[in-house]
Amino acid sequence: MRSKCDKIERLLSDYIDGTLSERQTADVELHLRSCGSCKREVVDLKKTNHLLENFYVEPVASDAYYARFTMRLQQRIEQSAPTALYQRFFAVATRLGWSLLTQLHRRIDDSRLGGLLSIRQHAFPYYIFGLTLTMLVVAPLLLIQVSTHDDGTHVLGRLYAAAKIRFFSADSSPSVQPTAALVIKQDKAGAQPTDIRRNVSSGRTTEPPVIDSGSDVWLFTDEPMTEGYIFTTLQGNDSDTVPNVALDIDSELLAYAEIPTQGAFWARLTGRDVLTENRYALLLLQGMDAGQHALQQYERKRIGLKGFSQKLLDVPLETLSVSEVYDSREL
Amino acid sequence: MEKTEALLIADLCEGDETALAPLVEKYKRMVYRLAMQITKNHADADDVMQEVFIKVYRSIRTFRKGAAFETWLYRIAVNEALNFVKRRKRQRESALEAASEAEYEAITRYRAQIANDPHVHAEKAELRHHVTEAVNNLPPKHRTVVILHEFEALTHAEIASILNCSEGTVRSRLHYARKKLRTMLKSYVDASDV
Repeated sequence: MRSKCDKIERLLSDYIDGTLSERQTADVELHLRSCGSCKREVVDLKKTNHLLENFYVEPVASDAYYARFTMRLQQRIEQSAPTALYQRFFAVATRLGWSLLTQLHRRIDDSRLGGLLSIRQHAFPYYIFGLTLTMLVVAPLLLIQVSTHDDGTHVLGRLYAAAKIRFFSADSSPSVQPTAALVIKQDKAGAQPTDIRRNVSSGRTTEPPVIDSGSDVWLFTDEPMTEGYIFTTLQGNDSDTVPNVALDIDSELLAYAEIPTQGAFWARLTGRDVLTENRYALLLLQGMDAGQHALQQYERKRIGLKGFSQKLLDVPLETLSVSEVYDSREL
Repeated sequence: MEKTEALLIADLCEGDETALAPLVEKYKRMVYRLAMQITKNHADADDVMQEVFIKVYRSIRTFRKGAAFETWLYRIAVNEALNFVKRRKRQRESALEAASEAEYEAITRYRAQIANDPHVHAEKAELRHHVTEAVNNLPPKHRTVVILHEFEALTHAEIASILNCSEGTVRSRLHYARKKLRTMLKSYVDASDV
């Protein structure tokens, strides 16, 4: 009888869950009719389940905690994600380099020259050698970075606002060349424009417009542009000092502005457009009718580069008359 | 218009990190609850939560299209929490003693729910405390199965998939966990008239 009880007892948990097959259920019920001990076991297990269902307290956290958590998660993702190609390359190269060094270390120590060149025995000279080598490579880069005042640098704690403007027209050869105005709204403490210039796609850099200290609008009406860049360097020490940059235009225009976290110089050095970082983006559109300068400013959104073309589709279609889809790969 | 979960996952795969926020919003409570139940400690649960969503963000490309995202997330969360418990050498006595009250109001609420609920009779508050503590005192693997089955209402097959073990193992763990709970709660079980 005991061995039968042992066999049935193993099924009791499933029995009370109702997950046994019909045959097993019948076997259990048949046994329960004649075994008081197993019957008690079933009753006790049911009571235990009842206690769990009715009196177990699930842990909950406050909304304030979740808000803080979301913020911290966002920051961590920003800091940790090596999304750019060169970042991935460096990550792989570092791992590979470290692996090769470890192998070399073992080989040298195991070889005949082990006593003379052993890294373990002569760690200090190796350390000095490594440090010197690193400084020889890193120091010039740092110097270049620090001295790049025109574009500002990360090291100096500057931030950038750069609006890349691309003009799209329903007409492939627009008769009216667009003009643009850059509006900088001083709504962020510590974000003060110090320099502004335009770099037209021809490669020519025009003189910066005269900045009226009493105004926050810079007009570019002197020269038509089909494609170009407007850079402004802003003093600021944290990522919150992102300026609102808006463009008011005369023709069909699609533009965005974003803040690269890397220095502009470094971005150029690595062959990337400073505007192709996955950073803040602001979508701006003009009104449909000539003469009406309806400005649509969309909330700055954090978007991925690939997400950009998709964000475009979120824009209400009635405000768009773009003849081509903005291809993020072209950026 | 609110995007569907499948669209958000597709966006995340494409590198659109904004798609993560709605997923975090939807599942943060579930992940926190699981992490807290397995680690029994708010600070650890917080770390587990971070790791879980970072893993989701980084590994979303490995997520099989058409599979259940929730099950995938459960798997990450449970394994991360169990690994955390394993890594933690010094087990703390209880969640209530371990947390810094000033920093973590969550645990304070947890305690308040158990003990200070004005609508609940003192006896019931005590019963809640004991039942909750009994579950907390189960070994992590048994506790996990109980939590997933009793409170998250997952099937044996789903739990087996999450824990990467056989259904038989799940049944066996559940059975022994229930027996242990019955022993720990004996006085209440005997007094219960259900």
